[in-house]
Amino acid sequence: MATLSLDKLVKRFGELEVIHGVDLSIDSGEFVVFVGPSGCGKSTLLRMIAGLESVTDGEIVIDGDVVNAIPASQRGLAMVFQTYALYPHMTVWQNLAFGLENINMPKPEIAERVHKAATLLQIGELLERKPKQLSGGQRQRVAIGRAIVRQPKIFLFDEPLSNLDAELRVQMRVEIAALHKRLGNTMIYVTHDQVEAMTMADKIVVLRHGYIEQIGPPLALFNNPANRFVAGFIGSPRMNMVEGSVAAIAEDGVTVDLPQIGRITATVTADGLGVGAPITLGIRPQHIHVGAEAINTIQASVRMVEHLGADTYFYCDLPGDHAVTVHMAGQSRVTAGDTIPIALPAPDCHVFRTDAGEVALGRLG
Amino acid sequence: MAVMSSPERPSPLRFLWKPLEALMQAVLNTVEIPMRWAQRMLGQQKIAWVFLLPNLLIFGLFTYLPIGVNFLYATTGGTNLWPGDRPFLGMDNFEVLLDCENYLDPATCRRDLFWVAVYNSAQFVVLQVGFMVTFALITALILNRKIIGRGFWRSVFFYPVLLSPVVVALIWKWILQREGVLNAALVGLGADPVNWLLSPDWAFFWVVFVNIWFQMGFYTLILLAGLQAIPPDVYEAAEMDGTKPVRVFTRITLPLLMPTMIVVLVLALIRAVQAFDEIFVLTGGGPGSATMFIVQYIYETGFASQIQQFGIAAAASLLLAVVLFILTMLQLRATRRQMNG
Repeated sequence: MATLSLDKLVKRFGELEVIHGVDLSIDSGEFVVFVGPSGCGKSTLLRMIAGLESVTDGEIVIDGDVVNAIPASQRGLAMVFQTYALYPHMTVWQNLAFGLENINMPKPEIAERVHKAATLLQIGELLERKPKQLSGGQRQRVAIGRAIVRQPKIFLFDEPLSNLDAELRVQMRVEIAALHKRLGNTMIYVTHDQVEAMTMADKIVVLRHGYIEQIGPPLALFNNPANRFVAGFIGSPRMNMVEGSVAAIAEDGVTVDLPQIGRITATVTADGLGVGAPITLGIRPQHIHVGAEAINTIQASVRMVEHLGADTYFYCDLPGDHAVTVHMAGQSRVTAGDTIPIALPAPDCHVFRTDAGEVALGRLG
Repeated sequence: MAVMSSPERPSPLRFLWKPLEALMQAVLNTVEIPMRWAQRMLGQQKIAWVFLLPNLLIFGLFTYLPIGVNFLYATTGGTNLWPGDRPFLGMDNFEVLLDCENYLDPATCRRDLFWVAVYNSAQFVVLQVGFMVTFALITALILNRKIIGRGFWRSVFFYPVLLSPVVVALIWKWILQREGVLNAALVGLGADPVNWLLSPDWAFFWVVFVNIWFQMGFYTLILLAGLQAIPPDVYEAAEMDGTKPVRVFTRITLPLLMPTMIVVLVLALIRAVQAFDEIFVLTGGGPGSATMFIVQYIYETGFASQIQQFGIAAAASLLLAVVLFILTMLQLRATRRQMNG
C-alpha cells in the first residue's frame, strides 16, 4: 500500500498544454477514479503516474519520494491496459511470469505467485492457453493477474472495461471492487463512465480540459456538485438544467424565475448574486416528485414514457421549449400526451452561476 | 442502361460534358446488345467465363502452354527446334544433368557447369538472403523509431526497388569497372585500383552486394509494416514489466514479427533462386563461371551456346521449377499462417 500525491503537475505536448498544474493527494488503500469526457486528460495523467509519459512540470510523489525521473518499472506500480496488452505469443502462464522473470526471481517463487494470482482470479485452468483462445473477460482477468503477481504498491487501471460487453462490464466491475477490498492496495482507475466511477470509487476525481473540476466521495459529488459541469456529468440520467434569473433572496433560500414556467425556490445562499442575476437551476430526475406539492410545483407535458419495471422515466416538455426527465420508483399508468404536475423539492434544487466556471451556489443547512 | 447525370459543380470543361455523356450512352447501348444476347444464351453463371476468357487465353498461351512445351522438350533430344524432329529420350536429359560421381565436386559430374551453377546459386541464396533479411530488419527497426526525416529515409531505402534490374546493373558496372568511380576514388586516396568484376571472389561479393542494395528496400517495407502492426500497448506493458531493450527485441518484437519474417524469407528465397538479369548484365556470369547461376545456365544452354541443347535446358528449368514450387508452397503456408494470426 502506498500514498501518492501530485504537486502542480503539468504536461505539454510541444506547445499544447493538456494538464494544467494538477494537485491531488491519494491516501493509502484508497480506490480513486479519474473520470471525465474524452480528451479531458485522465489517461495522460494516469500514464504520467505510471511513468509512460514524461512530466513537463510539477512532481509525482509516491510514499514521500519524488518519482519523476524513476523509470516506469521501478516505481512499484502495475498497470492494466484498456486493450489488455497481453503478449499474444505467450501463454497465460508466460504472460503472468514474464515481469517476474525480468527481475530474475527464482522459479519456485514465480510459480507460487502465478498460482496464487490464478486462483484469486479463477483462471487456473487457462494457464496453458494463449490470449487469442480467451474471451474478453478472461483476457481482462489475465491482465489483472499480470498486475497482481508483481505485488505493486499501486494498481493503475486505464479504462479496463471499455472493450467488454455491458453484462461482463457489470460483472468485472464487481470483481475489481471485491479485489480491492481483498488486496487493500491503493488503486487508481480511469474511466469515462460515470456509473463505474460512482459504483467503485472511494474518491472520484472529475477532470475537464486538463483541470480537476471536483474531488470527493461519489455521493458528495452527486449531492453537492461544485459546478454545472460536475452536476451534468455525475448521475444518470443527467441532471435537468433550466436557465432563469434570481427573483428573490431570502434567509431560507433563493427564489428563481424560470421564464414561462414559474418561480422555484431553492435552499441555497445567494453568494453575492443580486435579484435579476442570470442563473441555471438544476435538479436530478430522481429528486423530482410526480404530483402537486405546496411549493415548486409545475405542469409538465409527457412526451415519452420508459417503463423499466422497477422504475419509470418520463421525458417531459415544459413551457418555453425546455425539457425535463423525471424518475419515478415503481410503475405508472401515465402515457405520452398526458400533462402531469411535478414538484421540485427546494432542498434538492441546485443553482449555478452563469459566469466563468458556472459554480454552484452554497447550500443552506 | 443509364449513365449517371453530371454532378453539379463548375468545371472549365463543362461544355464537353453533354457530348461525352451522349457518346458514353451510345457505347454502353452498343455493348449491351451482345452482352444481353450472351447472357440469354449462356445463363447468368456461365457468363462469368466470358469475362475471364481474355485473361485465361493470355495465361494459357504464355504460361500454361510453355510449361507443357517445356515438358515436351525436356523428354526429347537433339538440336532441332520443331518437336516432330526431336527424338523421344524419356528421362535421359534429367539423368545427364544428375549424373555425378561425387555431388560435392562438380568436376566429377557429366554436366559440370550445371552443378557449378547450382552451387553458385546455393551459395548466393544463403548469403544474399541471409544478409539482406538481416539488414532489412535492422533498417526497419531504425525506420520504425521516431527519427528525424523518417519519411525521407524510407524513400531513400525504397528507391532502388523502383529501378529496372538492367539499370541497376549498369549503374554498378559504371561504379565497379576498372576505370569506374570506385577505383577513381581509391586512386584518389592513394590506393591501387582493383579489378572488382574480374576477380572471382570480388565479383561474387559485388553480385551479392548489388542484389542486396537493389532489393532490400522492398523487404524493409514489409518488415516495417510488420513492426507497425505490433500494438504499442504491448511495448508499454513490457516497459511496466521492466523488460530490458535486448529482451524486448528477443522476447516481444522478434516472435511477433516472425510470421512477417517467414513471408519475407520465403519471398527473398524465391527471388534469389530466380536471380538472372542484373547479374547477367553486371558480370555475364564471370569471371569464368564464378557468378553463373542456375537461370543463366538454362539460358545459355538453351539459347546462347553454339549447340542449342533445348532438352537439357528444359530439364534444368523443370528441376528449378520443382524448387520454386516447394518455396511457393512454403510462402503460401506462411502467408496463411500470418493471416490467421
